Parts: sequence; structure tokens; C-alpha cells
Amino acid sequence: MHLLIESIGFGVASGAVLSLGAVGFTLQFGISNLLNVTYGALMSLGAFLGLFLLGHGLNIWLAMVLGGLMIGASSVAFSRGLISPLTRRGLRPFSLVIVSVSAGIVLEYLIVVVAGPATQSYGNLSGATLRFWDFTLTSSQVIILVIAVALMLGLHLLLTRTQLGRAMRATSSNRTLAQSCGIATSRVSDLAWLISGTFCGMAGIALAITTESFDFTLGSLFLIPMIAAAVLGGVGQPYGAMVGGLVVGIATEVSAAYWSPAYESVIAFAILILMLLVRPRGLFGSGSARRLLA
Amino acid sequence: MRKALVIPLIALLSLAADCAAASAASSSLAAGPITVGVIAPFSGPAAEFGTLLSAPCIAATDLINKSGGVLGHKLQCTSVDDTGDPADAVPNVTRALATISNFDMAEGLETNTAATTIPLVNGAHIPFVTAAGLTGYDKTKDKYFWRLTPADDANGAAMIAYAKQKGYKKVAVVFEDNSTDTGNVPGINKAAPKEGVKLAVNTTIPADATSYSSLVATLIADHPQALVFDADPQTTATFLSNYSQLNNGKLPTLITATDSLTPDWYSAVAKAVGQSYIFHHVALVGSYFSQSTPAFTVYKNALLADSKTHGIANTLSSVGPPASIYDGLNILALAMVMAKSARGSVYNSDVTKVAKHQAGAEVVDSFAAGERALAKGKKIQYVGVLGAVTFNKYHNFAGAFAADVFTGKSTSRRSTLISASEVSKLLG
Repeated sequence: MHLLIESIGFGVASGAVLSLGAVGFTLQFGISNLLNVTYGALMSLGAFLGLFLLGHGLNIWLAMVLGGLMIGASSVAFSRGLISPLTRRGLRPFSLVIVSVSAGIVLEYLIVVVAGPATQSYGNLSGATLRFWDFTLTSSQVIILVIAVALMLGLHLLLTRTQLGRAMRATSSNRTLAQSCGIATSRVSDLAWLISGTFCGMAGIALAITTESFDFTLGSLFLIPMIAAAVLGGVGQPYGAMVGGLVVGIATEVSAAYWSPAYESVIAFAILILMLLVRPRGLFGSGSARRLLA
Repeated sequence: MRKALVIPLIALLSLAADCAAASAASSSLAAGPITVGVIAPFSGPAAEFGTLLSAPCIAATDLINKSGGVLGHKLQCTSVDDTGDPADAVPNVTRALATISNFDMAEGLETNTAATTIPLVNGAHIPFVTAAGLTGYDKTKDKYFWRLTPADDANGAAMIAYAKQKGYKKVAVVFEDNSTDTGNVPGINKAAPKEGVKLAVNTTIPADATSYSSLVATLIADHPQALVFDADPQTTATFLSNYSQLNNGKLPTLITATDSLTPDWYSAVAKAVGQSYIFHHVALVGSYFSQSTPAFTVYKNALLADSKTHGIANTLSSVGPPASIYDGLNILALAMVMAKSARGSVYNSDVTKVAKHQAGAEVVDSFAAGERALAKGKKIQYVGVLGAVTFNKYHNFAGAFAADVFTGKSTSRRSTLISASEVSKLLG
């Protein structure tokens, strides 16, 4: 029992990081309907920006916020500079996915050109080990958990209590109708990319803190589990992505404890497949609406 | 008077014949240097290996070129990027074989891509030296294959022998699930019961996970005295960090392969758990070689002298695989000189002659000394950094093993030796 509770605790800690990334990913998909594979490379870029800011004397948590915002701005630039023009020219969704794959590879190799291929590290930032009941977490894991919860709470309030949030949900649901209702959909889209990009950058830095060392492939390695978490929760559903991240995190840690760590990813993806067989819309997806919180 | 002229005339004719032969052999070479292909990843996540595998080539060719090269041609190390991915390795190596002139020697061909690159190079009749530890090559039929490092399973058995020597009765075995690292496991599994070492945990882990905490918690509960471990820098850093966090800052001794010690690995682990852990609690098990021989001094000085290898000279000269490639290239070059030909199909059969012990052979510890002796018509036995090399019929050589501890100032301290016969017995 002790091992089960302990591994659930570990799963919540790693799930929080996955949730952060998955929420950003699903938010982006909800607005743009694009499977944006560049998201992984942007997470890597976020981790390297965090390293740069840390190297210039910034506190890691401030670096996480600032780095996140910088990736948010990069995401807007990516959307405006590449995705939107190609979409206007009538490029098919599949072709846009290929474009995002290509852009991701280019970005990763640009990171290598600037920072080199060598493994990097923020150093040991885990802090004190905290034990309560049967849970064992480091102070940095607790802080990341708190940040993740705060961000998701903030996103919930944004989407449900603000005009911008309503505009985002309307745009996600039916862009044309939203435009005809006077919603500045391109500005709403930009803001959605900014917010999702910020989540992306912060997830990259959180990953780098958690894994203690990283290289330019960091984001690519975690992109699939994050997409799995987003799909598990229901595509375009931020709450679903939060829960999906936790499910994937807990499933991998519990399977590592009781079966074999070599198969932890297998368990997580098997759960995803089973869930989709039973409930194709995911945990929080609904039949009537396709997108954000609908 | 006529009789007095006969012998000098015969000598003169022999000399003319030799010159003609040498000229014919070297005239089959295009103008320009002889290419030594370094087939390794130079891009992608494993790019560090390309730099590390190039270094012994640079050291060997620097020294060979200083003594005039081979058959009147300098040697040049040329990178052939296999990217660490078999799918990319095939077209890249094929293109290199077809387009690079005087491509007559190769090294590298590391584990991840060996299954695709070795058949290509062997098929092109180019002798090559590899440090790939795959046990599948223990009885290879590839004629141009030469290996001076032990197979991974032998290294695994040596790790257990070391654990036994240190008095560890219970160890945990954790390897990253890739062909490079898990190759050690069969040797560990054979050796452990014979040495009376209990394996508390024997598992593989996926690379680059966010956390290994659940496995670590299980390990800590079993109280292993040491960890027999091998993984990439990132995975190692994350794993050890999780272990330290969950075990009140304490870490057991780590027994790993010498080829773990790359600058990347050192940097990642040092930042995660501190330099002191590496200097005092990490044992690196691999090929034994003496660091007090003239051959080693020449090798290390060559690494230090070249700006391309200076920065990694101390780390690199502490571990066996690069030294095996350095020795291997010297042996291949001397075989070229002996055969008076740079064509692989001609000089390949002279490789064993250059290295084997034979009556009346002059022992040489460098290419320059070997070339001088061959020029005088003597038989030679090359005894380099790794000592005397005896290839078996499968072109493999695996000598004794050593466990080293990497100390401060980028040097290593010899901890213990494990004989080749002991390892052979453990493998049954």
C-alpha cells in the first residue's frame, strides 16, 4: 500500500508537468484545429531560454514565467508568419501538419547551431525532500504542482468569467459565426496562441527542472505523451488535458512500480486506446460541441 | 671480377623490383591522401560520439603523417555521418564509399548502426576497426572486421567480477533499454550466480523519462550495495537525482562501463549529484591498459598536441575504446606498409602478421618504429597502448579488464584488474 501511494505521488508530480504541456497543446488545437508538432521544439526552446535566463542571474521561477512568455510570443509569430498565410492559401490540414513537423525539425537544429548538441542542465534545483503521509516529493515538484494548478485555475477563470474567454470559446466553436457577431477572431486567435505558447514554454522549463538534464530533443520526447494526455481528456478540452496528464503520469509510475519500468509508456498508451474505444470523445469531450469547454 | 658483381647485381635487381612493386601498389592510389573514414554520428542526439571516435583517428594519423605517411601518401580522417540512425546510415555510408577517393581504411561503426554499416564497409573490402560491443560479432565471418575491445557481455561479466572483488553481495542491475547498454546483461546474468552476487533488481528502463522515482523507491527498499548501471547522460542524471532525493542524499557505488565516461555524461551527472560522487563512488569497468608505457605517453601526447583533441585528451585517454581504435589504425597502417599496398583485399591478410608474437620479430610500439623495422626487412610485433594484441580467428581481441575511478584533474586511478581468463570462465 505504501508503494502504491508513493508511486501515485510520483505520478501526480510528473503528471503536473505533462498537464501543463497538454493544456497548452489542446488550447492551441481548440482554436486553430492544427495538430501543431512544432509544439515539441518550442518546449525545447523554452528549456534553453530558461538556461539562458538562469545564466544571467534570474531566479528559476521568474525565468520560468519570462521564458514562457517569450515562447508565447514565438508561438504568435509562428501562427501569424507561417500557419495563417498557408491556411489562407487553402493548404489542407494534413499539409499544415507536415509544415509543422518541418518547422519543428528546423527549430531543433537551429537550437543545436546556437547552443550545441551537448546535454545541458540547470543544476540540482530539486530542493529539500518533503515527506507527508506516504508521499515523497521535492520542494521543486511541489512548486511546479502549485504553478500548474494556479495556471489551470487562471485559465478556467479566463475561459468562463471574461469576455475574452467567451470570445475564444465562440471562435473555437464556429469561427465564421463568431466573426459575423463582431468578434475579432484573428486577435482572439493571437491571444490563444500567446496563452498556449506560454504554457508550452513553462512546460519545457518545468521538464528541464524535473529531469535535471536535457538537450534539444527534450520537447520531442515528451510531445507524444502530452498529445496522448490531451486526447485522453478530450481534444480541445483544457480540463480534460489536466486530468489526462495526471492519468498518464500516475499510470506510468504505478506500472513502473508494479510491473516493469521498461513498459511504462506502453501502459499509458494502452489506457488511452481503451478509453477511446469506450468513450471516443475522451473523458471530457461532449457530442454536441467540438471545442473549448463546449 | 664478374663473380664480385653478381651479388650486388642481384641486390640491385631486387631493389628495382621492390620499387616497381611499391610504385605499382601506390600507383593504384589516386593522388592525394589515403582516407580513413570515421563512420559515426556527427549530428543528432548522439553527435558527441562522432567527436570522441574521431579523436583516436586524429592522434594516429598525426603521428603517421609525421613519419611520412603510408606508401608516400598522408592519411586523412574523414567524417562519415551515420547520424546514429540505421535508416540514414545506409545512404550516407554508401555515398561515401562511392565518392571518396582512396577510402582504404575505416573506424567507428558504432553499435547503433553497426548492423547496417558493417556489411557495407566489409562488402567494399575496406578493413575497419570497430569498438562496437555487440556479441553478434564474437564469431563474425566479416573478413575485414577487426575489434580490439571486448564484447559487451564480457564487459558485463567483468562488472560482476569487480563487484565480487569489492565484497558486494547484493547489487541492483539497471540498464537503459537500447542495444548498446543491454548487451552487458547476458554476461551479468551468467557471472552473478558463479560469483555468488545476488541481483536485487535486474531491469531495463526507458530513456529520458520525467521520473524513475517508482523504480528507485523499489530499489531503495531492497538495499543494494551497488548499482550496476548504464544509460545515456540525461537518463543517468535523472535516475541518480531521483535516487538521491528519495534516499536522503545517499547514493550507492555505481559500476558502469568505461565508455559511459563522455564529457556529456560527466557534465550531466556532476551537475545532478555532484563531482565528488563521480570521483569517489563511480567505478568504470573496461579494457585494461597501462598508463605508464611509452606507447601510452605517445598516444596521450598526440591527443594533447592537436587542437581538435586537446580539450578531451585527459578524459579520452582514461578509457579503453578510443585507445583500441588508435592501436587498430596503427596496425592497419603497418599492414599496408608490409603488403606494400593500400588495397584492403591485399593488406588485410597482413593485419595479424603485424600484431602477432613470432620468433625473431622486433617489438615496436609506434607506427614510426614499425615502419623503420619493416624497411629493414625485419618481422615486427606491434605492442601499443593496449599491450600485445592477439587476434582470434574471428578477428577479435579481448584482453584483461580494469576498473578505474575518475579522479579530479581529469585523470583516472586504477582500482583493480580482472583477468581475461577469469571473465572467460564466468561466461562459460
